[in-house]
Amino acid sequence: MIAGPALEINNLHVGMGVQSILRGIDLTVQEGEIVAVIGANGVGKTTLMRAISGVYASQEGHIRFYGEDITHWPSHEIVACGLLQAPEGRQIFSAMSVRENLILGGGPLGLSELDKVLSLFPLLGDRMQQNAGSLSGGEQQMLCVARALMRRPKMLLLDEPSLGLAPKIIKLIFNLVQSIRNTGVSILLVEQNARSALAVADRAAVMDGGRIVLSGQASQLLDDPRVKETYLGGNAQHAPAANNEAAS
Amino acid sequence: MDYYLQQLVIGLSLGMVYALVAIGFTLIFGVLNVVNFAHGEVYTIGAFVGLLIFVSFAPPLVVVLLVVLAVGAMTGVGLERFAFKPFRRFNDEATLKSRAMREATLMSSLALSIVAREGIELFFGSQFQSLPLKHMLNSPIKIGPVTIVDGDLIIFGTSFLMLAGLQFVLKHTSVGLSIRAVSNNPLGARYVGVNTDRTIAWTFAVGSGMGAVAGILVGLYYGAIFPAMGFTPGIKAFVAMVMGGLSSIPGAVVCALIIGISEAMSSIFVSSVWQDLVAYAFLIITLIFFPRGIFGGARERV
Repeated sequence: MIAGPALEINNLHVGMGVQSILRGIDLTVQEGEIVAVIGANGVGKTTLMRAISGVYASQEGHIRFYGEDITHWPSHEIVACGLLQAPEGRQIFSAMSVRENLILGGGPLGLSELDKVLSLFPLLGDRMQQNAGSLSGGEQQMLCVARALMRRPKMLLLDEPSLGLAPKIIKLIFNLVQSIRNTGVSILLVEQNARSALAVADRAAVMDGGRIVLSGQASQLLDDPRVKETYLGGNAQHAPAANNEAAS
Repeated sequence: MDYYLQQLVIGLSLGMVYALVAIGFTLIFGVLNVVNFAHGEVYTIGAFVGLLIFVSFAPPLVVVLLVVLAVGAMTGVGLERFAFKPFRRFNDEATLKSRAMREATLMSSLALSIVAREGIELFFGSQFQSLPLKHMLNSPIKIGPVTIVDGDLIIFGTSFLMLAGLQFVLKHTSVGLSIRAVSNNPLGARYVGVNTDRTIAWTFAVGSGMGAVAGILVGLYYGAIFPAMGFTPGIKAFVAMVMGGLSSIPGAVVCALIIGISEAMSSIFVSSVWQDLVAYAFLIITLIFFPRGIFGGARERV
């Protein structure tokens, strides 16, 4: 018997008012896989992530999580079935302590996952009583991911985890993505930082204009001339500059 | 000197009542960025429910307070259901705290408050309800040179317990954490799986429960229970909320105490008919000189 995919998206359409943003997205993530979605600003990556988590309503198409159709579920039920997101902009509770952020992340599990999560993010352990708003950008990003892991997710959606962070921290975050996958969590990653994302992912898809225009093994996409030209800045020397531009 | 002390005690218990009412405003403003204009009527309903229970069963005061708390909470949930929820489509973070919602719910809560007040008047008449004297909280107590009534102590004690209880709920229970989470970052709350609709209903329950208890306490203290009784304390609590910075609970409590004490003290200098002016003077001063509340720009919510 072949197990179905962890996450399966069919022909997903999402619009705001008269404007349509996603125009038929098809995407699957197998259990234990890291899938990256890359693309420029404004092509609908974050909209896709918000639609999966039930923050935006979908007009057409289906989202299935382990076979269950979650397309029109409210966001708290999607979280309850193990599909968690570390959203764009972090969305941590800045006026509350790190500890309270983690408790909220745990939901009914409370702090039962705390040791496991702190072993991935030892830095947060020293900051438990501090206000989350007083953390540095990198620490806030870690808190955002840690908060999602407190709920013992089956799958983690990461929306632009590298946004606005120093290169050293970005490297650290992507190493953590690997470690999280090694604990058995499937990952869907959305990034503008295409090089780092493709390096860590198993498979990847390129989004443009609300559609997926290209997909395949991440290693293949790294070598694809079209991807190279548009998203990796032609040659390796120019890549960091291109990334900075994309991020700014 | 004794008179000053006496007025201070009265001011403190008065301030505590305003604090209880102000917290309802503050909590609701925190999660929804809206002012609940029917909050004063919740106070009135609390007083009338308490009165009915007293007259028909004459149970101990604690029982009355608990029943009023529960009825107030249910009133709050109903209020949210009919005056606030219908205006909340809630598809994204912009909707929750949008200006359109603020204006729509301002009108709907005001409308519901008029219906509630007129409904009570239709049923009970607009005059003061006569309260059996033995239920009133005004037996004098002499503490040293100061004479106060037991109502002052009961109001202060009950309010203090409720404020402490609220702090516990907000810091240590999952409902309280959810309320603070929605207040701090409604979008973030959705990503951790907080049921926003339910949390908002809980916020109304907590805030309205406290407002209703304040109503019966004051009713028993002054022996004055009538349909329009919620208006003045509602306005004063609203002033306390604005002075405290709109969504800060500590700010609202401190400002409510300042207003209460100032009012009581003012009666030393001017006739007590002018007492109500104190709160409005504070409001004007706050709005002119401290538009973000007297505790400055700190935006710590709830």
